[in-house]
Amino acid sequence: MNQTVANPSIAADAPQSPQGRASALTRLLLSNEFGLAVLLLLTFLIFANTLQGFSSTFSLFTIGRQIGINTMIGLAMMAVIVTGGLDLSVGAIGACTAMFFGYLAQALGLPLVFAIPLAIVFGAGLGFINGITVVKSGVHSFIITLASMSIFFGLMIFLTKAQSFNQLPAEVPSFGKWKIGGLVSPLLVISMLMCVVLSLFYRFTTLGRSMLAAGANPKAAELSGIRTGHVITACHVLTGGLAALAGLMLTARTGAAIPSMAGQLGQDWLLPAFLAPVLGGTLLAGGRVSVVGTFLGAAFVQTMTSGLLLMRIGEFWILACLGVMLLLAVLTDKARQSLLRSKGMV
Amino acid sequence: MKTMKPIAAAMLLGTLASGAAMAGADTKVALVPGGPHPYFAAWEQAGKDAMKDFNLGAGDYRVPAKWELALQSTMLESLITEGYNSFLIFPGDAVGTNSVAAEIKEAGGMSIATAGCLKDPTPAMFCMGTDTGNSAYLGTKELIRVMGGKGKIAHFTGFLVDPNTQLRIDAVQKAADETNGAVTVVQVIADIDAPEPANEKINAYLAANAAGVDGIVTTAWVPAVVAAQALTKIGDKRIKMVGIDHDEVVLKAVKDGFVDGTMLQNPYGQGYIGSYVLDKLRSGCTLKEDAPWKSNALTAKFVDSGTVFVDAKQIDTYVDAMRGITKTVLANFEGNYLNCK
Repeated sequence: MNQTVANPSIAADAPQSPQGRASALTRLLLSNEFGLAVLLLLTFLIFANTLQGFSSTFSLFTIGRQIGINTMIGLAMMAVIVTGGLDLSVGAIGACTAMFFGYLAQALGLPLVFAIPLAIVFGAGLGFINGITVVKSGVHSFIITLASMSIFFGLMIFLTKAQSFNQLPAEVPSFGKWKIGGLVSPLLVISMLMCVVLSLFYRFTTLGRSMLAAGANPKAAELSGIRTGHVITACHVLTGGLAALAGLMLTARTGAAIPSMAGQLGQDWLLPAFLAPVLGGTLLAGGRVSVVGTFLGAAFVQTMTSGLLLMRIGEFWILACLGVMLLLAVLTDKARQSLLRSKGMV
Repeated sequence: MKTMKPIAAAMLLGTLASGAAMAGADTKVALVPGGPHPYFAAWEQAGKDAMKDFNLGAGDYRVPAKWELALQSTMLESLITEGYNSFLIFPGDAVGTNSVAAEIKEAGGMSIATAGCLKDPTPAMFCMGTDTGNSAYLGTKELIRVMGGKGKIAHFTGFLVDPNTQLRIDAVQKAADETNGAVTVVQVIADIDAPEPANEKINAYLAANAAGVDGIVTTAWVPAVVAAQALTKIGDKRIKMVGIDHDEVVLKAVKDGFVDGTMLQNPYGQGYIGSYVLDKLRSGCTLKEDAPWKSNALTAKFVDSGTVFVDAKQIDTYVDAMRGITKTVLANFEGNYLNCK
């Protein structure tokens, strides 16, 4: 579930003693992901039993589809938070990539089999620009990506004249509307698959573990031979690639590549980008990621949003609720950390 | 706008009694703007009046908490889940909102793009709104007239991601070009249809360049308010201005002579007429293919909800001007656009 450099669960394949198993169980019960999964289940059951239409196939399909997109946005931010950085330009990268994809697939008529990978590489390239600038300048990624957000988005608007690509190949909108088994969106499936890939990446690959190490203690990582500059750049590249994928998924969902898909400067993505990983237990300070938690975080946020909309509590309260959730998540995580520390479990 | 309510309602009750009698209570109309904006405030009353006058099942105004395409789409999906079947939508995006309009259609509902158009091909029945390019063109012509046919113009307008913005920019330029160089557009400031950027950019521009500008045309709500406030504060009536919409600040500035006039739009009429038409369509009427549809850069099925220039002489009776437009559009709608058995 979680990947932490000092996390003993990385060696979980080894046989465990009864005390060790009890400790692992306690750790699981106290984990962010477990709490979130229980909360998600309870929330879902309450809404499904009290709100008419919440559990209809249409509702479940649209909720699942949005969870898929928000999870990918959250994963994009998570990939850079792992080193204690952040990327305010995820939305701009997503929108730019979508527009680049639109240009390739519609204006140039490139087959999707080429246009999709090229667009993802394009997004990763924008991430590379962020990463290399952060490393070479030594300025915090907050400032660099604040600037690049405006640069990327401004250039895109200038080049496209804010005109959408709405004559994409028919497969693109069809994919966004496709209901697997009449219920499940393929966008949700893609995000779940990406969660599996990233879990394996952080757990079993040298680069993935180097990212966690560089985030937990950059100096120690440097002394142990990890080239933190390269690792930070790689994180931004990964973020760019994931943001690109989110942009493409949103393109499939809307059936067109549109410059405002992530709002002005791509700012609409910032709340879901931070909410999902932080709710899921990814540490803003770096060194710990929770891929499954990010998925659960996105699922919880979307379930709450849909439920609150159906409850008609007032549209303006929904944003307030999301803000409160983010704050509670941070505070709960701090309390959990204190509890684990007091029990000598971290 | 509230003063329009009884007038419009009384006017319509007489002419539409038969329509009301046929109206089905199963028509549940949701009026959904792209986000919070004062322009749409009149939709709330329009929905309530339409619900009462046409015996609709609902006429609810639902505002996404902020201008975010995903938020609006989620809200529309939620409204489908709630059982709404008729939608007046200001598109969060001219292209992006098409996908949720398609979902509405697939769910058995229908939608009209209102106050802003969806780009063809679209599942929406048609688009009803202000002809933004024409409004900007007429407003600029009025400005040029009060400027004496010569001078320099600054144009303050809306978001660049809104395709209407480019139409407005082009229309203002076209009006200026028709003067053969006597009038020039010296500055276009866009992306400012929100209080913070509008205040920052307009005030900074006027502080530095007021002496070099003879006229201001605004083609979005917030820039109109901010520019009107700025000219009132400066107290200089040398700079001529034509604004847009009916914010109290703009109306007062027109009355006080700091603004020379404003291009009124018809949001109440859009909400009221749109609800009526949706109910008619659900009652079995169909759209005439040979109707006198207008076209614009986004769609070939456009109905102009009307725009009118009012200056200080007409400012006290602007409601009458808008009533006239609503009356005309509504009285002719069924005959011009609908086939009803």
